[in-house]
Formats: sequence, structure tokens, C-alpha cells
Amino acid sequence: MASAVASSFVRLQSRPDEIHRLLTDVDRYNTQNAVLLEDYLARQCANPDPSNNHDLMANLALLKMYQFNPEMVDFDVIRRILAKALISPISSDFNLCLYLLSDEVCRDQSISKLLVLREYLERAQFGDFWKEMYGNIEEDEEEASVVDGIAGFDNGLRRLIVGEITGTYQTISATHVQDMVNLDEEAVLRLAKENGWTVNGNVISLPVKSDNEVKGSVISESIAFEQLTKILSAANDM
Amino acid sequence: MYQENYDDEEFVGNIDVVADSYANVDEIEDGAELDDDELLMQAQAGVQSIPEQIRNFLGHLHQNLKTAKVNDLSYNYENQFARLSDKYYAKSSWPEPQYVAALVGDDGLFLILYRELYYRHIYSRLHPSLETRFRSFENYCDLFNHILNSDGPTDLELPNQWLWDIVDEFIYQFQSFCTHRSRVNKRSADEISLLKENSQVWSTYSVLNVLYSLIQKSSICEQLRVAQQGGDVMEAAGEFGSRPLYKMLGYFSIVGLVRVHCMLGDYTLALQTLENIELGNSRALYTRVTACHVTVYYYVGFAYLMMGRYADATQTFVHILTFVSRTRQYQQRSHQFDSANKKAEQMYALLVIAVSLSPVRVDENIHTYLREKYADQQHKIQRGGEEAVNVISELYMFACPKFITPIAPNYDDVEATVVEPQAYQLRIFLREARLQLVVPTLRSFLKLYTTMDIERLSTFLEMDAAELRNQLMVYKQRCRQVKWVGGPDLLSGELVSTTDLEFALQEDMIFIAESRVGRRYADWFIRNANKVQDLVNSQENKQKSVIANTGKPQSEQAAVEA
Repeated sequence: MASAVASSFVRLQSRPDEIHRLLTDVDRYNTQNAVLLEDYLARQCANPDPSNNHDLMANLALLKMYQFNPEMVDFDVIRRILAKALISPISSDFNLCLYLLSDEVCRDQSISKLLVLREYLERAQFGDFWKEMYGNIEEDEEEASVVDGIAGFDNGLRRLIVGEITGTYQTISATHVQDMVNLDEEAVLRLAKENGWTVNGNVISLPVKSDNEVKGSVISESIAFEQLTKILSAANDM
Repeated sequence: MYQENYDDEEFVGNIDVVADSYANVDEIEDGAELDDDELLMQAQAGVQSIPEQIRNFLGHLHQNLKTAKVNDLSYNYENQFARLSDKYYAKSSWPEPQYVAALVGDDGLFLILYRELYYRHIYSRLHPSLETRFRSFENYCDLFNHILNSDGPTDLELPNQWLWDIVDEFIYQFQSFCTHRSRVNKRSADEISLLKENSQVWSTYSVLNVLYSLIQKSSICEQLRVAQQGGDVMEAAGEFGSRPLYKMLGYFSIVGLVRVHCMLGDYTLALQTLENIELGNSRALYTRVTACHVTVYYYVGFAYLMMGRYADATQTFVHILTFVSRTRQYQQRSHQFDSANKKAEQMYALLVIAVSLSPVRVDENIHTYLREKYADQQHKIQRGGEEAVNVISELYMFACPKFITPIAPNYDDVEATVVEPQAYQLRIFLREARLQLVVPTLRSFLKLYTTMDIERLSTFLEMDAAELRNQLMVYKQRCRQVKWVGGPDLLSGELVSTTDLEFALQEDMIFIAESRVGRRYADWFIRNANKVQDLVNSQENKQKSVIANTGKPQSEQAAVEA
């Protein structure tokens, strides 16, 4: 299975030494370092490459600094940290950020909107998600999007949704896919080609991998050596 | 104030500022101006009022401390102190430290340690006033100053249990203070002004400062790393770290730090802190003090649970609960039996949450216990809905650690609603738990079929077909968890499937297959062979004692058998 994305905690290759040292040291409490972490966040936001543009540990360290020093809180920074966590392939990233916030912070308008978006996403209600995300733009063009300044947000999100689809379905109707990824027929055909799906009329066939394979098995017990120590030592006494 | 330079000078500075700034408290104590004679008489009366047995005990304690007899101290501390507390001071405090001073020739270090016990007793049996809380903090500063800021290592030696209790109590009192100060509307005007003037006392930074300083002074991280990777441990330990007192205090401070990070909602940092401590190693240092052993696993398991790593949480809790139930008979004699038992009960509650949300087979004995005590709750969680959420909330509130806010509230705003970190953490946890509830509910239906139409299943579940499609995706998503695969880094792991039920959709048709567990013959034989062995052993022991007692006078023999 995809163990490459298994953890948000291994050191990212793109993480600079300076940041790494800070995260593994008491220096993480020094408020003068907030600006380093904020700059680092800005670089993560500008980078559209999903393989190395999210460093959860660094962002959590920044949230912790805000937790200890409420006068430093910058809502726009928190908004961007949460938006980054929203499109992280590891589903627990978002909650780990929330644990370091408070009711007061969650009442902020754009933060609470992100919470609503997250709810649709984690309930796999993708249609409602896109509606909430882009539905009101025309009436209210003044309002900045809550995911402003996050490079590659839509694509990162589609990668997530595509991952959910391929993990659950073997065949699926194209119209369903269109609704879920919020793309028209033509774009879905392009998406199918990119992912190596076979399109047959309105039905898309997805390659069968371990996630969407249906195969029962018998789990046999495995005995660890430690379980036998008592018996063996008793045998020795005789 | 929390800069990278952790040199001693700065540490002293911080503490001195704190200790000097209690102008208000000092006045309370001095009271009226008595002349020397009267003071002397009062002191004598105070000393006289100490029962003889207590005076003897304090004398022994003092002697054993001076001569560093750690084994005797262990007995004084773990057995006598608890027994005498019950006998003489069940509902009052131990004798005033100023009177005890006369008994021990004003030995400063002894008095610091005595005060630590004195305040700890007040915290556990009585209601500590704000002044007591301040005083106790001041005493901790004195103690840690002595340990951290002397020119060379101190000669003091204490039993491991005592050292653990010091670190543990220090954090407990910190947490208790944070809760105390957050109830602004219950504080009197005097208390508020005292709190405002002494914002340094029990501040989060000062507590972290102590823990990090103890860790640094003892070079414990380096020692553990060298022990793991090979090399000269003594060299890594250095002048201070090679002393048991420093080594153990440093080690316990790592565990204490894990606890503080969890109390602040920083679960990743909590697990990161343990990177040099190998879990599952039966000879690890944490096994030397049972309370520490249990604490490590409780907080690691809790952190995993909060991170949504239910499989890891289950494994952690099962490991320690198996240990606790196996060693119960030895623990009963310990004065910490009650608190270890309570922690175990809390962990069972957390385990119920973890195994209900992410069903998995657990150890037979643990499984039996859960079925006996928590069958009702498990059943309710499996049925899903609001009732399941309520059950989870109840279990959680019973079992979770006390959370704190790291900063002082606004003391001027009496009307403000009290910030309740407990409720906030629960709410965030429930966000995930609610989603996870899809798993047991859907699983119980899917298990019954090998193929199923979406439309039909949706009528069974009384749910919209489109919503059911979504829930099936949520199920898949929720059954993929990061799972620890060993090694010193508790955060790392692999993405694995945690379900024994596989399914996939072909448009509107669900295909289902279940993995079955084969019969566990070997496990059955091992358990029963062990049982027989225990039985044989106990019979043999009985026989031996009977043989040993033959020929002795009747009365004595009866006493032995009783």
C-alpha cells in the first residue's frame, strides 16, 4: 500500500536544517522564531507540488507558539495552516491542528467556514463541498476565498477525492465522478486518461488494487517466542 | 524569557525573581511582633505537640537521608510515611516545617524534602489555599535549585519511587493551579491581586523550564541514545548524569513532559518527546516504578486515540492492562495501589472507545473483562446514533487527563465564561469519533452478505442511497490507519487496513468478503499449560510451608496458616 505518504511526521526533504533544529529543540518556544516558521509556511503555500509542500510538524509548532502567546495570533496564518491540512492526504492532520486552537479562534469567520468545508469533505459529501466552496462566489465577489494563496488547492483536493473513489469502486458511472470532482465530461475523460482508467460509454472501470479488491482470507495465529518463555523455564526446572 | 541558553545563571535568576515577589504572603506569616522569649516558648510548644512516634520517624528519616541509605529510605517513605499519615494526619496536615526544623538541627535540605511531603499531603487530603500553592511552588524552586545549581552534583540520594513522585506531584500541582486560577469568578479580590502580582508562579514556562533543565542536566537523552546505538554510556552521562539521582530525575522529566504536552493538546510533540525511550522493552527504566510504567502507556495510548490511530491505542492499552492485571497481586501491598487501579480503570474505558470505533480482536483476558463490565456500552456504540456519541463522551470524560490552558485568564473579567479546555478537546475528538461510528454500524450489516444492492441496503439502514454511497467511502477512509511498526519513533508507521471486512462497488452493487481468524490452538495450550504450572507451584509451596511448620508450637503454626 502507499506507505510513502503514511506519515506526516518524517522529516520532509524540503525542510531546511534551520527549521529542523528548531523543531527538535527548546528553541521552539522562542517567540523570535515565529517569523521563521511563518516564512516557511508561506513557502509551503506557494509550492504547488503535493509531494513536498506540507510540513505539519512545523505548522503545529507555530500554532503552539500562538497557544502560549495569544497576543501574537495571526488569523490569516491559522487559516492557511488549516487550508493546507484540509488537502493533506493524512486525514488526522486537520484535527491535530484543531487541538491546539480554542473556541475563540474557531469563531473567526474564515476559520469556521473551513470547519464547514472539512465536515463535507470528511463525510465524503463532495458535491456539497464544491457548492459551499464556490457556490456563493457570484453573489458576493468581494469576499476572498478561504483558500486564497494556497497554490494547487483544487488539484490537491481532486487527488484526495480520486483516491477515495479508486479505493472504493471497481466500476463507476462517469456522471458520478463528474459530480464528485466538480469537472465537466471532457475534463473527466482527461482525468481518466491521467489515472489509467478505462472508459466504456458512461461506465469507468478502475484498476483493481489492494484497496478495492474483494478477497477473503484466513488469519492464522502467530506465536511470539516470549509467549513460550514461562513454559520453557518450567521445563528447565524439572 | 524562554531562550535557547539554558545555562544555570539564567535559571537561578528566574526562580529568584519568583521567590522574592511574594511580598503579600510573607506578611501573613509574621503576624504580631513577639519577643524572642515568647517565640521560643511557642516553638517549644509546637515541638512538644508532635507525637513521639512521629518524632522518631522524622529522626530516622533524617539519619537515613544524611547517610544515604536508600533502601531504608524506601521503607520510611513507601511504608511508614503512608501509615503514619493515616494514623495521625488523616484529616489534618503534618507538623509545621518550622517546628520540625528544631528536631533536625535546621538541616535545610531535609526541610525542603519534608516540606515537599508536607504540601503533598495537604494536596491529597485537604484543600490547599492559594498561599499554600505559592509556598509549595517556592519549595519546589528551592529543591530544583539545589539539584541543578550547585557547583558539582549533589550528594543527595533518594529512592526511585520518591523521585518519580516528586516529578509527578510537581506536574499535578501545576495542573491543579491552572484549573484553580481559571475559575476567576470564585476567587476573592485578595486572591486575584495575589495572582496578578505573581504571574510567574506556576507559569507554564517555569514548569517546562524545570523539566527541560532536569533533562538537560542529566544528559538523559544522550545516555538513552548511546544505550540504544552502542557506545560508552558513562561518557555520555557525564559528571551529573552518572549519578542515579540525576539520571532518574531526567528520565522521569521526559515522562512528565509527555504528560504536560498531552495536557496542552499537543499529542504529536508528546510522542516525539519519547523518541529515545523504547516502548515494549521489559527492561526499560520506566519499569522500575510501576506508576511511571502505567503513566507512560496511559499518555501514549491517549495520544494515539486523539490522533485517530485507534489500532495503536488499542495495542498500547492492551499491553499495559495485561501487565497490570498480571501484577495485581504484588501491587496490592503498595501504597499506590488505588491510584494505579484507577488509572487502569480509565484505560479500560479508553480501550472500549478504541475497540468499538475500530473493531479488532484483543487478548482473551482483556476481552473477557470488557465483555463483563462494558458490554452495554459497547453494544450502544455499535448501534450508532446520538446515544453512541453520548456513551463515548461519558467514557471519555471519565478517562481523559485534565487539560489546561497555558496562559492566565483575564482576571479583570469576572463575567467571562470560564474557558473549558476539557470540553473543547472532547468536541474535536468527537468530530472524528462520529465519523468512525460509520464503521461498526455498516460492518454489522455488510458482514451478513456477499453481494448487496445499494438501494436495498439503503432501505435497511433507512438512509438515502446517495448518502449511503458517501458513507461507504467514509468507511473505506476510516479503515485506513497509520500503524506503528516498532522502532523508537512512536509517530512513524505504515498505512494499513484495520478491517477484517473487504468490499468494493461495481456501480450499484456491493461485493463483500470477510477475513476469518483460524482456531487459535497454540494460544489455548499455552494459557492452560501456564495455569496448570501455577496450580502446581502454589500446591508445592503450601506443602513446603506445612513441612517447615511441623514441630513448632501450635499457636505459631496457626498464625502462619492464617
